[in-house]
Amino acid sequence: MLKSLTARAIIPVTVSVTGFVVVCCVLLYSIMKTDMTGDMIAYETSQAGIIVKSTRYAMLHDDRESLANIIDNIGTQENVEHVRIFNKKGLIMFSSNHNETGRLLDKNAAGCIECHSGPVPSATLGDMKQARRFINAKGRDVIAITAPIHNEPGCYQAACHVHTAEEKILGTLDIGLSAAPLVNNLAVMRNRMVIFSLMVLLVTVGGVAALLKRYVFVPLRLLADFTEKTINGIEQEIPPCGTEIEKLAGNIRHIVGELNSLRREKARWKKEE
Amino acid sequence: MNRPTNEGRMPDFGEKNARLREDTLANIRKLRNTLTKELISIALFLLLSIVALDNFSVFPSLSEPIRAALGRPPAANMISAVLLLYVFSAIILILARMMSGSGRYGGVAHVGYLAGFYIFYHLSGKLPENFWAVFASGATVLGLESYHVWLYCSEEIEKERETLAFLNNKPGGRE
Repeated sequence: MLKSLTARAIIPVTVSVTGFVVVCCVLLYSIMKTDMTGDMIAYETSQAGIIVKSTRYAMLHDDRESLANIIDNIGTQENVEHVRIFNKKGLIMFSSNHNETGRLLDKNAAGCIECHSGPVPSATLGDMKQARRFINAKGRDVIAITAPIHNEPGCYQAACHVHTAEEKILGTLDIGLSAAPLVNNLAVMRNRMVIFSLMVLLVTVGGVAALLKRYVFVPLRLLADFTEKTINGIEQEIPPCGTEIEKLAGNIRHIVGELNSLRREKARWKKEE
Repeated sequence: MNRPTNEGRMPDFGEKNARLREDTLANIRKLRNTLTKELISIALFLLLSIVALDNFSVFPSLSEPIRAALGRPPAANMISAVLLLYVFSAIILILARMMSGSGRYGGVAHVGYLAGFYIFYHLSGKLPENFWAVFASGATVLGLESYHVWLYCSEEIEKERETLAFLNNKPGGRE
């Protein structure tokens, strides 16, 4: 069956087209996944910047109640899994989850180690290095980002604060957003790609099979039937064939014509005898 | 008039037939070996893919000095572009060989190229995302090539068997 003319025509086309489309779709999906994750991290970085800027006034005035309220309100936002601000010792000062306020963070934990891997903590990191992905205690997929709160002239020159100009980082904002919308979008995109691949496969294989049947297999079958009937002595008109097989049909017509005239001649001789 | 000394005698075809039969049998063995080599290539690729699926965790990870000596790995997008180019070229080449009826094949070389892609993705840290792309590439290229080799070898073996059957029915043949 795999050696038949139909299989030889269809299998290479099917394997080539399906394989190439699948490879393209997988690569495209991988690239789009990376891009969409990058976009989400950029969005989170921007959100973190907005939060730091919006809490700046409260920090300058050491207004801890306002600061706690801002963090609480942001934490109630849909898809925000956690928001916390911790000082440079790793002590959580404000958090949307009140239970963790006052706890000390481990510097080797994900999200901290990126800056604290060396003897001197790094003050700047790229967006992608600041980001981390994990499953939180509630079992939700979270993409979190840590943004440093830099020491600005307004901070170390303010009368109420004790920061020196040498301190580069005063604390860190940690915000985690649910990855569920990203996962859902990727799942929808993946399903669409599977449907697209199946459609390409059906159209290509179906198209090739239909055209081959119309222009090659049917004329060949008609010619085979015709030659078989001629061998059995049944005279009939040659069936109409496609352009490509017309020459072959013409040759067969010629041979069959000569064969038939020979048969008639032979029959006449037999009668005369 | 000079006449050959063995004129009037039946020429001795026995020796030639025996040599031809040996050649035919050797060809059949060679063609069967080609099929086996292709199957070995597929088995190697599957084995490699099983190891790659686990992100090469069976091997010890490269130490920092070795990584530093190797330099920065290429970007994942660049590896993907080369992979796409490879799959496209390989498919075109195999289809061209099928069209011309050539018995040439890539075999283990394809497994080598695919191993290269797995390793480059692994070094760039993007193997989990791109594993299925390399696997689909390998399945396509090796699948298409195996079908081609199988068809070619089957036809050639059939021809050789016909020759063998012809020789066996000739004087000096096995009968």
